[in-house]
Amino acid sequence: MTAYMGEDPVIVSRLADGRIVAHLNMCRHRGNRVCRADSGNARSFTCPFHGWTFGNDGRLDHVPGLDEVYYGELDVASNGLVPVGQLDTYKGLIWATWDRDAPPLLDYLGDMAWYLDLVLDRREGGIEFLPGVHKWQVHCNWKFPADNFIGDSYHGPVSHKSAWVSGFEGQPRRKPGYGYEGFQISPGNGHGLGARWAESPEEYVAMGLPEFQDYDRARLPEAEQRLGPVRAWKISPMHATIFPNVSILWQGGTIRVWHPRGPGLTQAWGWCFVDRDAPAPMKKIVRLHETQRHGTSGTWETDDIDNWVMSTQASRGHVARAYPANISMGVGHESSFPELRGRIGKFQSEINQRAFYSHWAEMMASEGRWPALERGGESVAERAAGGR
Amino acid sequence: MSEQNPAGPAVRIKVGPKRSARPRPGQAEQPAATAIPSTEAPEQDLVTQPLGATVEDMLLWFEVRNFLSMEARLQDECRFHEWVELFTDDLTYWMPVVTNRVIPDLGSRVMPFGALAHFEETKATLKGRVSRLDTGMAWAESPPSRTRHLVGNVEVERIAGRDELRVRSAFILYRTHMELDEDVMAGSRDDILRRVDGQWRIARRTIVLDQSTLLAKNLAVFF
Repeated sequence: MTAYMGEDPVIVSRLADGRIVAHLNMCRHRGNRVCRADSGNARSFTCPFHGWTFGNDGRLDHVPGLDEVYYGELDVASNGLVPVGQLDTYKGLIWATWDRDAPPLLDYLGDMAWYLDLVLDRREGGIEFLPGVHKWQVHCNWKFPADNFIGDSYHGPVSHKSAWVSGFEGQPRRKPGYGYEGFQISPGNGHGLGARWAESPEEYVAMGLPEFQDYDRARLPEAEQRLGPVRAWKISPMHATIFPNVSILWQGGTIRVWHPRGPGLTQAWGWCFVDRDAPAPMKKIVRLHETQRHGTSGTWETDDIDNWVMSTQASRGHVARAYPANISMGVGHESSFPELRGRIGKFQSEINQRAFYSHWAEMMASEGRWPALERGGESVAERAAGGR
Repeated sequence: MSEQNPAGPAVRIKVGPKRSARPRPGQAEQPAATAIPSTEAPEQDLVTQPLGATVEDMLLWFEVRNFLSMEARLQDECRFHEWVELFTDDLTYWMPVVTNRVIPDLGSRVMPFGALAHFEETKATLKGRVSRLDTGMAWAESPPSRTRHLVGNVEVERIAGRDELRVRSAFILYRTHMELDEDVMAGSRDDILRRVDGQWRIARRTIVLDQSTLLAKNLAVFF
């Protein structure tokens, strides 16, 4: 498949031996795009300009006229497709970076990986993405959607009320007030998530919509055996952003990437995920749930999008830039919680936005050196229980 | 909640604008919350008969053409409650995702039923979307988009063995929103029309938009 890393297009291929590789989707001759499809099957890619042909492992396999017009003097070996710096996978998700010297993926994720298991590792078969990707362009800065998903539960009762009352309630179920049981969680390294808190498995199940509850209840024992009670049912996660631009919405299930296209344009890609072992009717319920609430026509998402567009527009003027945005909600009220990893704030709190923007500022000022990454490790409760 | 829990006790605060969210008189009541009715895959191997140059067939085409124009005008006049009642209760309203594929893979260009789609709606969820607009808090459409649905290329075929028609059409939806947002979206529609109490109603609509990556900020309007 083809994708983007930042503004650079890439080809991600699974080779015959099962390895996954990724390369810049650009011919080394004159910079043309060598693969034009969103996805497909190919052992090689031929540039439509002059016919340079690259294997799906990136090697330059064929150059027309290599002897006749290049006199055999072209250094074929060093003109393969540009490989990414590092590529790694975490429980089915493929991650890559252009930086050969970047920290390994697990260090980069830190304790966010512990929380990602809530999505990726509830069941033996893990998750699968439904076929089909929503792709659309929005005239907003990419940090607005990343901010929205990292820690903004404050906007729910206002931005999404029209959807709540029209038959498109989301899950875990919200309440029309503020401050109820839940957390914004900062596991470090600019990542963040928000989750409701349940005191019992039944309370956890009741936070789901009626059409999800039987399945949620049925998969609880397996989740508890794999993840322990805290991650199986005590936290019912809602939204998350993995720094910088990958977000998750747990309700139903969507993962999206916010591809920047300069400071004023974002190309959003959204996938719908389900448990691989969920029964077919459940997968359909999830698909419909996602289609009707999120993505291009989503009764929730469309109202978010206008917020991002209008915020980008209203704050770009000369006078506007003199007034910084306010992300002070909950300053001084942050703490920790014995059963959770990371720093926490109330369910409506801007702790995660502060973590995101301060990490972003540090990365932008770093001049190529990575800031120290955090790995908090086990929660207090995990240490007391001997680690789980 | 335990006192140690920094999440704290719940605090109820009234939210939302002062203006009431109740529907205005004459509008359809809100649908039941959160029941997820079923959508159906398109029929395979539909047997149809093209129209001929007979007076009867020309009158039929005229009726359908007028119906489609009226349906488009209801949308452009934001008369969505009347518009949604033009669909039958067993409706599937579906807009699949379109992808870029190399020529040998063009058969996979339009994602099949069962993949993630732009719209996959029943009559009930379409009515829910309409009722959301009534609340005055559907911010993406507040103020509403200005739309112009131009429908053309209308082809009508009779479906063998039942009193239904297959109606294909093309559209350009011109839309502006707020100050500067402008979209021109074109595509095709493949409808099944059924006569209900002497009136044409839409029992199925499949919309294929001629874009892969959407250039519009949203699909908050209907097709």
